[in-house]
Amino acid sequence: MLLLAAAAQAASTVETPNVRATLLAYAPEGVAAGQPVWLGLQLRHRPHWHTYWKNPGDSGLPTTFEWTLPDGVTAGGIEWPAPRPLPFGPLVNYGYEGTVLLPVPLDLSDAARGRDLRVRLRADWLVCRETCIPESGDFEIVLPAGRVLAANRAAFETARAARPAVLSDVRAAAQVRGDTLEVEVAGLPVRLHGATLRLLPETEGLIDHARPVPQSWQAGRWQGRVPLSSQRSASPERLAMVLLAGADSFRVDAPVAGWRAAMDAAVPAEPAPAALAGFAAALALALAGGVLLNLMPCVFPILSLKVLDFARHADARRTRVLGGLAYTVGVLLSFLALAGALIALRAGGEQLGWGFQLQEPAFVAALALLFTLIGLNLAGVFEVRGLLPGSVAGWRLHHPAADAFLTGVLAVVVASPCTAPFMGAALGFAFTLPAAQTLLIFAALGLGLALPYLLASLVPAVARLLPKPGPWMARLRTLLAFPMFATVVWLLWVLGVQVGVAGVVGLLGVLLAVAFAVWAWALPGRSRIGLGVPALALAAAAGVWAAPALRPAGDVPPAVEAGWMPWTPEREASLRASGQPVFVDFTAAWCITCQVNKRTTLTDPAVLADFERAGVALLRADWTARDPAITAALAQLGRSGVPVYVLYPGGARAPLVLNELLSPGAIRTALDPLKRKETL
Amino acid sequence: MNTARLSALALCASLVLPAAAWAVATVGQPAPDFTAADTTGKRHSLADYKGKYVVLEWVNPGCPFVRKHYSSNNMQATQREAVDSGAVWLAVNSTSPRSGDYLPPSDMGKWMQGQQAAASATLMDADGKVGMAYGAKTTPHLYIINPQGTLIYAGAIDSKPSGRVEDIASATNYVKAGLKEAQADKPLSHANTRAYGCSVKY
Repeated sequence: MLLLAAAAQAASTVETPNVRATLLAYAPEGVAAGQPVWLGLQLRHRPHWHTYWKNPGDSGLPTTFEWTLPDGVTAGGIEWPAPRPLPFGPLVNYGYEGTVLLPVPLDLSDAARGRDLRVRLRADWLVCRETCIPESGDFEIVLPAGRVLAANRAAFETARAARPAVLSDVRAAAQVRGDTLEVEVAGLPVRLHGATLRLLPETEGLIDHARPVPQSWQAGRWQGRVPLSSQRSASPERLAMVLLAGADSFRVDAPVAGWRAAMDAAVPAEPAPAALAGFAAALALALAGGVLLNLMPCVFPILSLKVLDFARHADARRTRVLGGLAYTVGVLLSFLALAGALIALRAGGEQLGWGFQLQEPAFVAALALLFTLIGLNLAGVFEVRGLLPGSVAGWRLHHPAADAFLTGVLAVVVASPCTAPFMGAALGFAFTLPAAQTLLIFAALGLGLALPYLLASLVPAVARLLPKPGPWMARLRTLLAFPMFATVVWLLWVLGVQVGVAGVVGLLGVLLAVAFAVWAWALPGRSRIGLGVPALALAAAAGVWAAPALRPAGDVPPAVEAGWMPWTPEREASLRASGQPVFVDFTAAWCITCQVNKRTTLTDPAVLADFERAGVALLRADWTARDPAITAALAQLGRSGVPVYVLYPGGARAPLVLNELLSPGAIRTALDPLKRKETL
Repeated sequence: MNTARLSALALCASLVLPAAAWAVATVGQPAPDFTAADTTGKRHSLADYKGKYVVLEWVNPGCPFVRKHYSSNNMQATQREAVDSGAVWLAVNSTSPRSGDYLPPSDMGKWMQGQQAAASATLMDADGKVGMAYGAKTTPHLYIINPQGTLIYAGAIDSKPSGRVEDIASATNYVKAGLKEAQADKPLSHANTRAYGCSVKY
């Protein structure tokens, strides 16, 4: 493919199937020191084929020259004519089709006086249409001393006219903000004001050339926000660029400020982990997050159980204290077990985050079953001691702490899917630490969750606040069955989002059969055997029948609400690249805090109107089922669980991570600085 | 109506931004996961290779720059060195079936075999999804992903962007150098370079 033939017989013209290349000379005042002397390589391309500009764009190679010159002669660089953008699929190149002349000025010193000058050129070019062919040619030309060479005047004048204009009163400056290069150019001709300009940087590897440049004119100054390439390989202190406006072209040169800050900011994607002064701060945040977790809607069902527990043991201080301690131990151990499992699975390469257990439909179903049983128990359908073998029931009676311990386990299983304020940042940080420290942070979190009950169980004054035991306790117990059933409703909905309606109906069948079985098994005497055995068989059959419907449905298309678009990394990137503000709602059906925020804030018409006024694109990242892309995006934000609410204000401003408990006021405050910008 | 207008706006934005797919893979960030079939139909996911260094090489036998590095044995030597060090080498062909350069999987497999390539697998990405996710622009275009799944290198095979085989000897091979540095727990001297070669024929 390389034109080795041309090397043997150096000539001023080299012809390939795609290019006819000729070395031309131009010396209008004669070949003499101090006079303008030009050489230029003229490339005549086969129709639709092209060669490249000094920055070839997304692919390609610039044409290069290697001169062999006699003493006293030096050659300058190529004075590139303005190139054309050449789109190819999703890529853009810059280059030339048809005929182009690449001129180079020669400088003749006195040493070259009075001699014929033999000049050799080795040129390399890449000529492409769909396919690309690297070609080269060796050229030789003799410049006779003193001779006027004007035959190629037209070609050189055309090339001069095609050069981008350099205007003396044009001033340009550039500033890096985040992943955008903000360029401002003042002093361009008035006739261009308002025109759309195309910016071609002369430096390679700086931008993705197909991405549009949002731009505006203000008081005669052109402002462009050039998205930098995410795989940028250059950070020039000065940037020369060509601006194309129709047939006009201008070359401007701008100092570039802000690379340093951009690189520092680029390393941790988010401010959250950076705000953590260190491990101690993370521990404190985890403890506070754990305490606040008690206020999250997730924990309501557990709250009910603890209220009942307190009422039962209000008079027995020892039992109460023991219960408080057992609950704390249950919470701590479950947190550690869950965190340990998560660390181990992540080390094995699983893309999992906090709350991952509820991404498993079988686990959700099991939890629904458990809460149904607790609800039935509270409602008085059966007594646990009636079901269990005598020895176990007796043991349990003598060890009430075991109940408290199990409540602690349940609290973690149900409550952990939600992250509380402070907790999100602490958790995200935790997973960047060595395993031992991660576990310590989780222990702090568990301690925080258990702390209010532990303190309440230790302080006798709290128990004295409760009324004396009496018939009201039985009523309270029945009443508390309802939060349990409410939890089942929620879990069924989670399952519905994960596997669809067939799975929900299957699970409902199982729940019905199990409810019947525990009722039948609790009957006295013979009927227990007569009804209980078939009931158990029925429950087992229901389980077998429902199991296949509980498999993850695979690609369930996310339900789209008006105004919201499903989040994908590509969509977020393209919206942000276009300069539009973006709000991302990282959510999951199993995250009750997320659902509460959605009801109170994110479906509020006034809030939606605020978003619209500020021109914010709304994206929803639904993490109900496992999704590695979302897990990765959360990790970039320094988080490992939902909810997370992020507002990218557009342009180069830093993203804002909102509080986990949203309110319309909080959204309004966040949107405040986002005064609708002028339309670009 | 407001929300409809908003989504219409966003839709338009995504249509007029053909390059929306760029900007995804970024050095220092988690490498985008993907699943693609190799020339024998076996499916590979990036996630399968967590815990190992993974090199991605964009390849198109119809491209003279690819042939420069294969005919000189440079690419195969780089592949062998990487694989011998425990890394996984995935060659990716994102050529669209609409392009004259397209090779069906079996032909692509035969070509790699004929070149005595040492790639662990050659993935067919005819719809360009993997290429778009990584912002692959040229053949060759190379990426290194560390065992934690973070992208640590994106760019050229070496430091001399040319079509000349003679330049290989004096060029710095960024992939060999980058892998060595990474495996010695050193930061890469060149983490982003400008890839050179033919356009990927999406």
